[in-house]
Amino acid sequence: MRRHRDSARGPRLAPVAAPSLAVFFFLTTITAGQPPASIAPLRAAGSTDIAAGRRIFESQCAWCHGTEGTGGTGPSLQRATLRHAADDKALVDIVRNGLPGTEMPGFTSLLTDRTAWQTAAYVRSLGRAAARPIPGDARRGAALYESAGCGSCHVVAGRGTMIGPELTSIGTLRGPSHLRDSLVSPAAAHPTGYLVVRATTSAGRVVRGIRLNEDVFWIHIRDAGGVVHVLQKSDLSSLDRELEATLMPSYASRFSAAELDDLVAYLASLRGQS
Amino acid sequence: MNGRHAARCATGVFIIAMIAPLVAQVGPARLTSHATDGGNWLMYSGSYNSHRFSPLDQISTANVSRLKPLWVYQPPGTGSLEGTPLVADGVMYVTSGPASVVALDLRSGRPIWEWSRPIAQTVLNLGFPRVNRGVAILDQTIYVGTLDGYLAALDAKSGAQRWIVPVGDNPTGHSITAAPLAVDDRIIVGISGGEAGIRGFLDAYDAKTGKQIWRLHTVPSPGEPGSETWAGDSWVHGAGATWLTGSYDPALKLLYWGTGNPGPDWNGDARKGDNLFTCSLIAVDVETGKMRWHFQFTPHDTHDWDANQIPVLVDADDVVPGGRPRALVIMANRNGFFYVLDRRTGEYLRGTPYAKQTWATGLDATGRPILVPDMDPSEKGTLVYPSLQGSTNWSSPSYSPLTGMLYVPVREMGSVYYKSSVEYRPGTYFTGGSEKRLDEESWGAVRAIDVKSGKAAWDFKLPTPPWAGVMATAGGLVFGGSNEGNVYAVDAASGKPLWQFQTGGAIRCGPMSFLSEGKQRIAVAGGRSIFVFGLE
Repeated sequence: MRRHRDSARGPRLAPVAAPSLAVFFFLTTITAGQPPASIAPLRAAGSTDIAAGRRIFESQCAWCHGTEGTGGTGPSLQRATLRHAADDKALVDIVRNGLPGTEMPGFTSLLTDRTAWQTAAYVRSLGRAAARPIPGDARRGAALYESAGCGSCHVVAGRGTMIGPELTSIGTLRGPSHLRDSLVSPAAAHPTGYLVVRATTSAGRVVRGIRLNEDVFWIHIRDAGGVVHVLQKSDLSSLDRELEATLMPSYASRFSAAELDDLVAYLASLRGQS
Repeated sequence: MNGRHAARCATGVFIIAMIAPLVAQVGPARLTSHATDGGNWLMYSGSYNSHRFSPLDQISTANVSRLKPLWVYQPPGTGSLEGTPLVADGVMYVTSGPASVVALDLRSGRPIWEWSRPIAQTVLNLGFPRVNRGVAILDQTIYVGTLDGYLAALDAKSGAQRWIVPVGDNPTGHSITAAPLAVDDRIIVGISGGEAGIRGFLDAYDAKTGKQIWRLHTVPSPGEPGSETWAGDSWVHGAGATWLTGSYDPALKLLYWGTGNPGPDWNGDARKGDNLFTCSLIAVDVETGKMRWHFQFTPHDTHDWDANQIPVLVDADDVVPGGRPRALVIMANRNGFFYVLDRRTGEYLRGTPYAKQTWATGLDATGRPILVPDMDPSEKGTLVYPSLQGSTNWSSPSYSPLTGMLYVPVREMGSVYYKSSVEYRPGTYFTGGSEKRLDEESWGAVRAIDVKSGKAAWDFKLPTPPWAGVMATAGGLVFGGSNEGNVYAVDAASGKPLWQFQTGGAIRCGPMSFLSEGKQRIAVAGGRSIFVFGLE
């Protein structure tokens, strides 16, 4: 119990004619709300700024883009040119506000103008470093993709079946290390939106597959054969989320190390339909 | 009565109905009469005690399965509909972001008038969406706060703007999304901006003129009580926003209002101390604006666990062993604990966890949390339950005096909390960190908490943590919504689902109920539409 006999009373706002104050608000709001018209060139960043940007990157960005920007669930940033960041201002803006329509979130509550600039400067420095070559032969990997039947679950350039993720642009979205993980340890690398669920009906029928959508009373599940099951929850005796599971089989023992390199090289080469 | 006379009377009633002005007459006395005037819904939480309980019982466990949509209205504006409509004397008042009010005829669902304040894209909403959560009504006037920080008074009959006054400075992050509260001759309104480093306050304005009557800062300046809980000048941007509508006890003349996080949110290094009166419930004398007592749920918060949730006023005599009759205020707090306080004195009576939390081993005899070490945000990230959105948030709970249960929209979700350096710059985020939510593992529920024991009685599970509020009714029902578009009714005693309707858009509002031509209706917003349901 904490009682008060006294309390704070602050200054009162003097009643002001609304129109004049509205004009004042409008003018000052423009100043406060607009992004800066220009920024210092990222190449002007010194080692202190880049080190500060690196610390932020390793804490916030490496989750997706990998340590040193080698790529992961996010694309590799070890590139001289970045697809969505034609200039320094665009890069700072993406770092700060994210990319709508992609998995790249904004960090407006975390980054100030300065720390966003420092982070962008570090990202730019990654592009100046030599990118690590991807071992393997993309042409052999393409043949392996066909012969292994990957198209029975994935679509590339309009061909295949959409059970797993669309791969037409996967090389721009995921780094090589993550692509390799997806082949070797798919359960640990399964993407958002492909949650595996297991439903058991009151009659004892088990349906296991990817949750397509779910509301309070219904769930839609696509099984490994591509069949969509529309189930009413009141007809289920159990419904479990398998957070660590995936429908994607592991290819760790099916392919040799060289074949995995080839397949990763092929997937990394998929950069959208021309 | 013979047939001809009956026909004349019927005609007369019809003519009166035709010419009766569609205008509310809601004097202060009516605002205290929700239990007997349940056909209307006269304030955000339904009644001053914030039970959000409808005394209407035409729609019940026996017939709710026949509930059907009667009309749908899509208000102007943008963003999600997060308000609770008000209903007074045949008219529904609906708000929409960023600053629109519409008066609707209850029978036809058609608009009587619309009011909008132009809101430029440059108007700041740092830390919350561009929404409006509702209006207040007093006499013949509608009161609404605006995203750019003004309080406006509108004629209930025509929507004509009577006056508009500045409450907070938007370029420095002040904003209003909450519904104001009308008490006697004044309008009480809180302020948003806890992520922008504002210094929070609660205001009262003269209902007739808009002149400010009092302002109570939620963060004390040097020398004032509580100022010793702020290091250096950290109080200047100490936040403590008052961004949701509070409750009121007319007998005690006390307002009960929750306060938000200290600023910066996730980096507490520069604000050593408990940071009073953030993350607290404050009891405020409605006449003078003086704070009568406070209770701080989360001292020196570093997880953004605002205490802005709706305080619910109940009376009970046995919430503690050997207890005596008590006037209580209860709150399911964002930090994961359910609190019972004496609302006359602020005395802590009981606190129990009601959702998964990993930051405290419990509460001590005074209600202060006993902390688990190393749960503060860090540069590498710290996994803590609940997430920064809390075990519950602004979505309204409901209390049924018939079951003695508080129904709470519960969010079962954890987050990895990050801390970063932070500097104050006017009109920008002043938070010092971020979070990464554990989305796929998260889920939600409407959870019934028995107020006498503090224990959960049942769960109605939801696939994701909800943003919809709930409403209990005398028909033995609890209405709620889901992010996936379901509006539903469950049995208040057991949680068993009895009815649902898929609206096609996320439910992010509190359901409410009213009478239209003597028949009970349920209103709820789904997506960008208001749905009204009835039995026929």
